[in-house]
Amino acid sequence: MYGNMNIALNILLIIPLAASLIIWMTARGNSRRFLFALHLLAAVAASAAGLNCVAYVINGASFTALNDFLLFDSISGIFVLVISIVGLLINIYSVKYISWALDNKEIEFKDARLFFSLSHVFIFTMLLSVVSNNLVLMWVAIEATTLSSVFLVSLYKNKRAIEGGWKYVIICSIGLAFALYGSVLMYSSAYHVIGDAHSAMLWTSLMEHAKEFDPDLMKVIFIFIIIGYGTKAGLAPMHTWLPDAHAEGPAPASALLSAVLLKCAMAAVIRYYMIMNTIPDLSVFLPRIMLMVGLASILVAAFFIIRQNDIKRMFAYSSTENIGIIAAALAFGGKAGVFAVFFHIINHSVTKALAFCTSGNLQEIYGSRDINRMGGLVRIAPLTSVLLGIAMFSLAGMPPFAIFTSEFYAVVSGIESRQYFAVALFLLGLAIVFYGLVKKFIQVAFGKPAGEVVHNSEVSIAANLPLILLAAIICIIGIAPPEGLITLLNSAVSMVVGQ
Amino acid sequence: MEFGLIVGLSFVMAIMSFWAIEERNLVRATHIYTLQTLTLVGIFLAIAWEYSIGTLYIWAGTAFLTKVLLVPFLILMLIKKIEIKHEEAPFGGLFHPFIIIGMSLSVAILLEPIFIRFSLLKLQIPIIVSIFVFMLGILGLVFRKSAVKQILAYCLFENGAHLTLALTAYNAPETVEMGILTDAIFSVIIMGALAMRFYHEFGSLDTSQANELKG
Repeated sequence: MYGNMNIALNILLIIPLAASLIIWMTARGNSRRFLFALHLLAAVAASAAGLNCVAYVINGASFTALNDFLLFDSISGIFVLVISIVGLLINIYSVKYISWALDNKEIEFKDARLFFSLSHVFIFTMLLSVVSNNLVLMWVAIEATTLSSVFLVSLYKNKRAIEGGWKYVIICSIGLAFALYGSVLMYSSAYHVIGDAHSAMLWTSLMEHAKEFDPDLMKVIFIFIIIGYGTKAGLAPMHTWLPDAHAEGPAPASALLSAVLLKCAMAAVIRYYMIMNTIPDLSVFLPRIMLMVGLASILVAAFFIIRQNDIKRMFAYSSTENIGIIAAALAFGGKAGVFAVFFHIINHSVTKALAFCTSGNLQEIYGSRDINRMGGLVRIAPLTSVLLGIAMFSLAGMPPFAIFTSEFYAVVSGIESRQYFAVALFLLGLAIVFYGLVKKFIQVAFGKPAGEVVHNSEVSIAANLPLILLAAIICIIGIAPPEGLITLLNSAVSMVVGQ
Repeated sequence: MEFGLIVGLSFVMAIMSFWAIEERNLVRATHIYTLQTLTLVGIFLAIAWEYSIGTLYIWAGTAFLTKVLLVPFLILMLIKKIEIKHEEAPFGGLFHPFIIIGMSLSVAILLEPIFIRFSLLKLQIPIIVSIFVFMLGILGLVFRKSAVKQILAYCLFENGAHLTLALTAYNAPETVEMGILTDAIFSVIIMGALAMRFYHEFGSLDTSQANELKG
């Protein structure tokens, strides 16, 4: 079993990296079909490899590989599950989206090749970050996610895309510099306790010795970590790169950034939180910091969502709101809170992937991202309007869609922890977001189009098929989540709460 | 005597870092950065000699190849292609030097006791300098408008972090240092490529001109 897992974990990392190289080196003859086929083949293979690894850890098993540098446990399993399923569906959609961009001469063939090649490097770096057992290797992988995705953001050669890309790389580099200092400090303090250089960098060892760490130093480290990885995760007030980067990239890149990347940074925060949460002296400090940034993220995002007319920027602010929900649920704590954290990570990923991909359809139909120029979507493209409705109602927290369930658990955990004022602010933020999203959906679906309709019919079924699958997952998770998923979530919860 | 050398080189590194940030001529700033990195290599060698730490000889070698030779070469190539030799005035005007020195020094003095407590090498001045250089780089990224100068600022804070790592955790597995170095080189390459695109679109390196994205 262990040997199999070791091989499976290596295959998981090799496939996207090899795919990227193969796409870059072989797809040179302007053959779209060959490029798309290679990309889809790699995406399916990477997804299968990911799901294979997840199957090993559903029941709470954990494995290490490559001289303990890699760790695959239930927590890694949740993130790899998200990357495998959501990543695959986004990658399938990206074929049609890039095809439109080539047809409209927005990009050239070499840009498409770069996009697909970098998409797989990006997947590799995200996978490496969530299966890394070494805290500095995890930092290296998360820093590499920025480097591999910056040209996905700046794929279009225009001022706005370059501005978005530049802000993304600069702000995330500043943030991650603090995370590096946090990681170095963590290692130094762990080395004093553990006395072995190799072990002092491993999450598995750090968890074993967590209670022996100096509480005051841990507070400083946590501040560095929350600034560092919080910037990358899009937590307020370090979120300023996020609307620019998410809005200016192609829709599939925005979907990958929002649905998957932000969660990888949160994975790092959760790992540190797990270690420090075992130290009694930090039992007030940690939740207080998490709650502050969580509620700030929800409320700041809510303010921007209601006044936003660019549909992609609106979804980007919604990402900040949802990362805030995850942080607040972690702060509320208890089994319900931690369950809400992991459940919301999955639910938001699926929903936001659908939202951003549907925004790609809207851009194709209206030739614009401006909500004020949209309208009558129900008549023009009924299927896209249903998909957009599912995405926006789920983001708004409406039952029976996926996000409602995890938000419900978050509220329950807040009430159980008797933080009534925080719960009230939490609900206030959600209510504002609900109003903003539903109002905008009604405008897009039923309003009168104020601008030109470029493509006055439904987009092709090939484009919509992955979106239909995402919508189906949102409904299934919201109504009757699969037993295997609940088992995996409970395994991850017991890793955090059971310490 | 060797201890004096380490402290002396640390002071030189701090001065070079400030000079690299403040120098408006981009080619000269890159050369000063190269000297700053050479000083960092010198500190690694001095510590390795003084404390008989073999690993730091390797760190010095890799830092020389990557940071003294490769990174400045890449930045100079970028400046040559762009043909802009001078940076725009930074945010903060006349107060800029005082702001960045004051803030960097304050943070360094504030954090030094925390770092030194768990540091493998209890060298107070070099630790203060490492945090000072790190903060200079961070503030350079925030306050400087030139894309090339922001890349240099990135390199500076990376050097600060490298020195901190050498002082506090030189015994960390080598893969860790290699991983951080690789990231740093790719960062310079990718930021350089993006700066080229920036120049082609905006006709300038002034990142404050990129202000379309708001709200």
